[in-house]
Amino acid sequence: MDRAAKDKALLDRIGIDQIARNARARRRGQLGLGLVFMAPALIMVVGVLLAPVLFNIWLSFTKWRKFTGFGEYAGFANYERLPSNPFFNEALINTAIWVGASVVFPIALGLGMAMFFRNLRGAETFKNIIFIPRILAPTAVGVLWFYVYAPDGLLNRGLGLVSGRDVDIGWLYNDATVTPAIIATFVWQTAGLVMVLLLLGLAAIPKDPIEAAHIDGASRWQIFRYITLPLLMPTLLMVTILSVLAGFTVFDLLWVMGANYPGQRSLALAVFMYFEAFQKGSWAFGSAVAVIIGLVVLCVTWFQTVLQARVDRMTR
Amino acid sequence: MKLKGKLMGTAVGVLLAAAPAFAQEVQLFHDKGFWSEQLQTVGDAAREATGVTITETPYANAEQYKAFVQASIASGETPDMFTWWTGATFAELVSSGQIAPLDDLWAEMIANGGYGEASKELFMVDGQAYAVPLLLARWVVLYNKPLYAELGLEEPKTWDELMSNADAIVAAGETPFLATVHEGWRGFIWFQELLLRMHPEAYNGLNDGSVAYDGPEVRAVFEAWSDMYAKGYFSDPRSTEEFNDYVRGAGAMYLIGEWAAGLVVEAGVPADDLGVFIMPNAVEGAPAAVIVEGSPLVVSVDGAQDETVMAALRFWVSDEGANAWGEATGNYIGNNSAEAPNAIVAEVNADIAETGAAAYLRWWEAVPPDLQGELVAEMNRFMLDPTMETADEVMATMQSLNAAYWADQ
Repeated sequence: MDRAAKDKALLDRIGIDQIARNARARRRGQLGLGLVFMAPALIMVVGVLLAPVLFNIWLSFTKWRKFTGFGEYAGFANYERLPSNPFFNEALINTAIWVGASVVFPIALGLGMAMFFRNLRGAETFKNIIFIPRILAPTAVGVLWFYVYAPDGLLNRGLGLVSGRDVDIGWLYNDATVTPAIIATFVWQTAGLVMVLLLLGLAAIPKDPIEAAHIDGASRWQIFRYITLPLLMPTLLMVTILSVLAGFTVFDLLWVMGANYPGQRSLALAVFMYFEAFQKGSWAFGSAVAVIIGLVVLCVTWFQTVLQARVDRMTR
Repeated sequence: MKLKGKLMGTAVGVLLAAAPAFAQEVQLFHDKGFWSEQLQTVGDAAREATGVTITETPYANAEQYKAFVQASIASGETPDMFTWWTGATFAELVSSGQIAPLDDLWAEMIANGGYGEASKELFMVDGQAYAVPLLLARWVVLYNKPLYAELGLEEPKTWDELMSNADAIVAAGETPFLATVHEGWRGFIWFQELLLRMHPEAYNGLNDGSVAYDGPEVRAVFEAWSDMYAKGYFSDPRSTEEFNDYVRGAGAMYLIGEWAAGLVVEAGVPADDLGVFIMPNAVEGAPAAVIVEGSPLVVSVDGAQDETVMAALRFWVSDEGANAWGEATGNYIGNNSAEAPNAIVAEVNADIAETGAAAYLRWWEAVPPDLQGELVAEMNRFMLDPTMETADEVMATMQSLNAAYWADQ
């Protein structure tokens, strides 16, 4: 009897086929059970996230406008119209400003505060106070700050008190001030979260290299520049991704605070999309704008993920 | 067994009793959430009078509501009964082919003596009437009677008298006119009125592309408007509390739809202190005119086949329906055999009857819907900086949008 035949005989004796069948049945059973447990999450992801996204992409290739054109194929016509729309171009520039500002200011402020509060005793109360705006709904924040910026609001009154004369600036009515004013509100709301995330990142940095640098006579700036900052990079990158996404998709604040500003539709791509779809009934065109926003966010996120992986490798 | 039999009998009885009630219900979709309660009052009155309950179904804002109706029609699921807007938007709705013509109902309404042909015209597209009025509001000037009395002013019959009243109010340290850009849609109010009073011949042309937004007629409007701002005639356009502003006396005169009278009274102005007049013409010999806002109530083609839906609609336009609606909201629907809902409406009715003022559709409805939001944003821009320099920019932008739109048609 050759070796293969011996093996087969042995396997037959121990009933390997039955064991394999049982194992397959068990795996099928486990898979079924797994699917049952996963079903709520799957239904949510597919029904609430994936299906609407796919439906929106499909809509962007149709002619749907108000009461007609639903389901009629339009090819890339909606996308071809985008560059010639002056409001789209203006909204694109404003969105770029928003993304830049939502990365630079909250991170600069959050990092500054995180460094300041890191080793400060009794700073918990201040940290909590700074974080509070984050737990407020953006719409509520918008309404609150709308009144702060009102012509007879807190800001003008404060400036009046300082300058000793009446101040009557329409912060949310003026081309030059509306975007900076809303960005300031955004920074007020988000800097607290950035600070908390960076504090967590700072807490995870080992103390040894910093102490060694101290002993070697490095200045505080040198320690920050050459030790703290590189080790904080993974957290900073994660915060940057969150900030970029927030900048691209900002809507609530612009909708509430820019309600009386004549150029509201151009304040950002998300607002432009809402006006085109909901106000003008250009559903297919609005869907194309949404797809563009989605694609840009996807590209930026992918780029940052690649970068994050590199930084992780470098700091490992 | 006995108990089981009784229970089954009761259940069958309840079902039989409930069945007609379910069958006799008509849903009315609308975007006027601020009138939800009042609409339901009319719905309940309909049940008492006809056995058909009108159940109001509100949407939070106009955009969401439009989205719902457009998506419903595009997917072939048109609601049986719903509200819409007149003018170009209405023509678009009718062009979907899903809205039932109501000429027969209008023939009955006019034959009964309550309604006039002029009201019907607001709801006509290509010679057929497709809606009944949910609301017919004339745009008038509400004014502060006590202040007028204190300054010895009379209701103006001419443009010069109006301007002279405004000067007297400024001299007394008060602001003549209330006007804001609040909510982004109000910018057209003074623009449309000034155009109609100064260049009535250009009013309709502006909305069919034959008159330019940077033409001499519109320029004259902006010059007059800018001049009025320079003289201190207007309140702060940035205010967000127009009704309360009127109560606080921020403006002595308030150019608005007559529906606002109820809201102003609700905000605290005694009804007797509120006067009303139709804005006088600025050019001599121009025919008497009034701007009218109509809100249509439509039924779908399928809805018109359903006797329950038509019974609900008939109740709405009846004297009883108009009275219930008028009592609940102070709104007028053009039914002159019903009671006038308040003294303001009665006075406007009398004024129109005396002068034979012709109805002009409100700019907001008359302008092509694709231009509506963008043009009114420009008018708001002017109100926030009412100089001729801004007016020039605004006119150029408006005309560029207007020309691009009409070139596409």
